[in-house]
Amino acid sequence: MSTSHIVIARKIFISDLKTINQATIDIFPLALATVPWGVLCGSLAINVGLSPLQAQLMSLLVFAGAAQLAALTIIGAVGSLSSIFSSTFVISSRHLLYSAVFREHVRKSSLGLRCSIAFFLTDEMFAVTCAYMEKHKIFSPIYAISSGVVFYLIWNISTFVGIIAGQHIPNIEHLGLEFAIAATFIAIVFPAIKNKSTLISVISSGLSAIVLSIFLKEYALIAATFIGMLCGYLTNDKECIDE
Amino acid sequence: MNNFWVALVGMTCITFSCRYFFFSKTVPFELGTKVKRLLSYTAPSILTAMWVPIVFLGHQTTNDDFITSPFLIAGLVTVVLSLKIKNTLAVVGLGISIFGLLKVII
Repeated sequence: MSTSHIVIARKIFISDLKTINQATIDIFPLALATVPWGVLCGSLAINVGLSPLQAQLMSLLVFAGAAQLAALTIIGAVGSLSSIFSSTFVISSRHLLYSAVFREHVRKSSLGLRCSIAFFLTDEMFAVTCAYMEKHKIFSPIYAISSGVVFYLIWNISTFVGIIAGQHIPNIEHLGLEFAIAATFIAIVFPAIKNKSTLISVISSGLSAIVLSIFLKEYALIAATFIGMLCGYLTNDKECIDE
Repeated sequence: MNNFWVALVGMTCITFSCRYFFFSKTVPFELGTKVKRLLSYTAPSILTAMWVPIVFLGHQTTNDDFITSPFLIAGLVTVVLSLKIKNTLAVVGLGISIFGLLKVII
């Protein structure tokens, strides 16, 4: 390799390191906020009768907080496999939307890269990667994967803590740990509202989430999301005409 | 649970498939500009559809009153904080602390 090649390779290496560093900084607060949820997942798994290994494997392989908690609740109530699978699908179906958003940026990559990005695709990873995309006008696979990996590590460490400590905290599921998730999502959503259409999509999705979760609990999340997206989409149209 | 391993493998496949589906080269489907714009509202809509029920209906899980519910009060304070403070970690940390404090007081 000639000297100029080494210089270029070095520059790429340094800029990659910067991207990884930025991803870690951006995802860290969001990952910290899911620690209570991870702890809850770990301790609940032990409480419904899973072995510590099974409890940890769930976070290592499934890696989806809401779906894991729902499944654990069903296992605790001695529910059927089919109800576990259908609730997992309903809760995870939002990830279909995320993969549709990243599709055009990821589709031409190698199978390994596509699988890695898919595996680490969570609400939080999606949110920070979108913000990065908005700011730099480019999709960075390195950014996406490194933020996902940081999140994965913290999720699994907190599950582990839950497996160890959760057995000693009584009524852990009644402490209101889910508020940490609400606080995180609030902190992501509000700074991202920069125009009228996004505001409208947030308001309409929030209102319909309340109404729908009273009437059709299981599908409230995905239905409210679509209503929010549609309202935002329609608002944007009018703005374009006005201009 | 006897069927745990089946449940684990099944859940792993379902969550991964949902995340991978549109990355697949065999899914014949092109995103038009309209669909792309619709999808740009995904993050704010879905995250809101998740936090709103926790803040406004969270009192039902702990049998608190709606008005004095720590979920409601701390949630609204977090909204205000998120508009005032740029640092995400500070917003989340303060929000959770206020929630914890209210849980102790109320």
